[in-house]
Amino acid sequence: MSDPTNDPVICPVCGKKAKTGSAIDCARHMFGTGDKPHREWVNAQGLSFIDLLIDQATTPGNASYQILADVIEKTRPKK
Amino acid sequence: MNKYTVINPHSKFTVLNTHVHNIDGVAKVTGRAEYTFDIKLPGMLYGKILRSPHPHAKILNIDYSRAMEIPGVYGVVTGKDTLGIKQGIWRRYKDLCDEQILPVDKVRYIGEPVAAVAAITEEIAEKALDYIDVEYEVLQGVYEPLDAIKKDAPEIHEGFERNINVTRHIEWGEVEEAFDEAEYVREDWFKCGGQAHMCMETRAAVSSYTPEKKMTIYSSNQSAYYMQALMAGVLGMREGDVRVIAQYVGGGFGGKFELDGAIFCSAILSMKLFRPVKIIYTREEDFIATKRRTPMFYYVRTGVKKDGTFCAREAKVFTNGGAYTGMGATALYLTGFFHSFPYRWKGYRYDGYRVYTNTLPSTSMRGFGAPQAMWCSEQQIEWIAADLGLDPIEMRRKNSHYEGYEVPGQATIASCGIDQCYDEIKKWIASKGKLPANRSIGLSACGFMSGGIFNWFDTPYSFSSAVVTINQDGTVELHIGAQEIGQGSNTTMAIICAEALGVKVGDIKVHSGDTDHCPADLGAWGSRQTLMTGNATKMAAESAKKQLLEFAYAQSGLNIVYDLDIKDGWVHAIARPERGEEFVQLVRKALRGKDGQRIVGRGYYTPHRKGMISPAYSYMLQGVEVEVDEETGKITLVDSMTAHDCGQPINHLGLIGQLEGAFSMAAGYGYLEYMPYEDGKLMNPNLVDYKMIRSTEMPPANIAEIDTYEPEGPYGAKEAGEGLTNPTAAAIGNALFHRFGIQMKECPVRPEMILNALKEKKEKEAQGK
Repeated sequence: MSDPTNDPVICPVCGKKAKTGSAIDCARHMFGTGDKPHREWVNAQGLSFIDLLIDQATTPGNASYQILADVIEKTRPKK
Repeated sequence: MNKYTVINPHSKFTVLNTHVHNIDGVAKVTGRAEYTFDIKLPGMLYGKILRSPHPHAKILNIDYSRAMEIPGVYGVVTGKDTLGIKQGIWRRYKDLCDEQILPVDKVRYIGEPVAAVAAITEEIAEKALDYIDVEYEVLQGVYEPLDAIKKDAPEIHEGFERNINVTRHIEWGEVEEAFDEAEYVREDWFKCGGQAHMCMETRAAVSSYTPEKKMTIYSSNQSAYYMQALMAGVLGMREGDVRVIAQYVGGGFGGKFELDGAIFCSAILSMKLFRPVKIIYTREEDFIATKRRTPMFYYVRTGVKKDGTFCAREAKVFTNGGAYTGMGATALYLTGFFHSFPYRWKGYRYDGYRVYTNTLPSTSMRGFGAPQAMWCSEQQIEWIAADLGLDPIEMRRKNSHYEGYEVPGQATIASCGIDQCYDEIKKWIASKGKLPANRSIGLSACGFMSGGIFNWFDTPYSFSSAVVTINQDGTVELHIGAQEIGQGSNTTMAIICAEALGVKVGDIKVHSGDTDHCPADLGAWGSRQTLMTGNATKMAAESAKKQLLEFAYAQSGLNIVYDLDIKDGWVHAIARPERGEEFVQLVRKALRGKDGQRIVGRGYYTPHRKGMISPAYSYMLQGVEVEVDEETGKITLVDSMTAHDCGQPINHLGLIGQLEGAFSMAAGYGYLEYMPYEDGKLMNPNLVDYKMIRSTEMPPANIAEIDTYEPEGPYGAKEAGEGLTNPTAAAIGNALFHRFGIQMKECPVRPEMILNALKEKKEKEAQGK
């Protein structure tokens, strides 16, 4: 996990820093925005935006957000 | 007989907190108040709307040539006569603007407007509808959100996969860790029904478009400014060329601040024909073609410690959004926020999903998502207390908000009187003594906002504004953009203005509901007017007063302007109240001193840095005494008690009226008002079959008014009248739980549900479970 105080995660689609700047907040931002570019980015990572969303809706916990947060972390540009 | 008690009365004001009758009361009871229905303009035509009989269908062709042959028919409009603009209140979020009031290509619910006729009489217009031939290609429909998100469900709007319209996520704290700390976790699913707004005045509009390309619209709405801006947008006009007048409005309750068919179709017909066109909805049209309270499916998981300390809560909500977004996206957010109220959660997580279906669109309605939230939350809390063997009142109290509490990342609670609400409800319960065998008491708590901070409308204007002008005879013109819809806001503003200026309520003339003469205001929704327009009014009045006192100061020789005050029309030195002069004399001197220029005070209010939701929150507790007929399952409300923290009341009479009205609407939601659909068709669109609560079914509505002081409100005032729509349904459910041990998970609770629950309980008991 990134340290949000020193190394905020920026949305790979719109460049926005969500709330604390953590990857999970970035994932929340991507689901919350949910517009075509954000959906397409998620799908391009080999995930299904809508399946993740439905899973988040129908099962307890934050599994879908965490899956997307992990992908966001992995795809962050290396310094 | 209702009982009314005041706890913590503040120091006396001259006007505020006295009993003031509604300033429009006489005009209303003598029949002189002019509603849209009463408007008659020269050359006016009457419009009627043809509606879709299908829940989901493509419009292939509309042929209205036969209708035009009927004598007295002047014109017909269809979607092709419009600019085809998808409209909505979400000017900042274009994706959510998804509704063409007269659709061009597709209908998505039964009752959706398809064409409109203008004729010399209403009867001819009605007849002409039968002669409009519409060719449809009927599509498969889907009516429940949990069906609409399935993979094979029909697509209602293009580009919204699985028909998910809007999602909302709220989270604070380490939710899973907080659940780990819990010693008891409970999960439940709930279903909350829709509810019709049931305004006594149905949707109504008269539009008049002139060759000068100016449009005047008389309409029954909750925000003249919204209507002006929205209509200008869909008609391709400048805002300033559209005038909206909404002088008297017979109720709104959240349903009348979006565009509706009456306004839009009358305007389009008027533009085509250059004649004024009036459209008044029938009661049936109001049922089937105007938006409703949002039905919801709620999953709630709550974790607590054995001593009743709340740890964590998770909620997942699917709302039946119907065919279009309307205000439902805000209801989706607010239901998630208020589901946490009025308690402190170490970890809280909410995921809300608004789903398109082929039913009537759902939108805001008094309580704005909170009645559904409290129906689920407050019943589950009661069941948890029973499971743990704890006192439900003390368990609630232990976990409640308090003054200064911060809802993490969301809101700061500047005033909170819920602790005293618990005391008052306990006293009422104790006063009831032993109840008859068929009766029981249920209670429920909640909190609510005093106006939303959201600016999804993307207006550059302040949220509220007011202008005070003083005439040479001492009378005062108060211009506000707030909309009087029967809730008494004009009276409230007259009181605030009179108090601030130091004159009598009878000296104030309030002007509202006319965009040509009143400043912009976001209108009557979310309990915002007392706090927001109240602040603007107070500021405008104080500005005018300061200007007047500058003249008084100049002639009095006192040290500073603030040594002077005005009370009851008497301008005087504060330390020597006998030294002074009449208000009207000062006004005349001030006018002469300013070369005849009028004294004008301006005020405005837009909340800044007040959290995510609202500048202030009210708190309340609802108790109900319920009687049940075990043979029929019929519920009777026998008595009720409301303890309400409303900050500083502005008008006692208005406050009582608002609380009684909210209670009756909430009670109807709890056990009477049911909207059954079959294949997208509402089965009871009339006042006989839709069981609205009647006066004979209303129990006494006893009220304990808890006066706190809200720093953000005018004179310390905050919400009263919308919040009380929230707890009552759950209180009824809790009374049933205490009487029978049954857990009602669907709202409204209907007699057959009680009988079935009792039967199921007996069967389980017989099986020894």
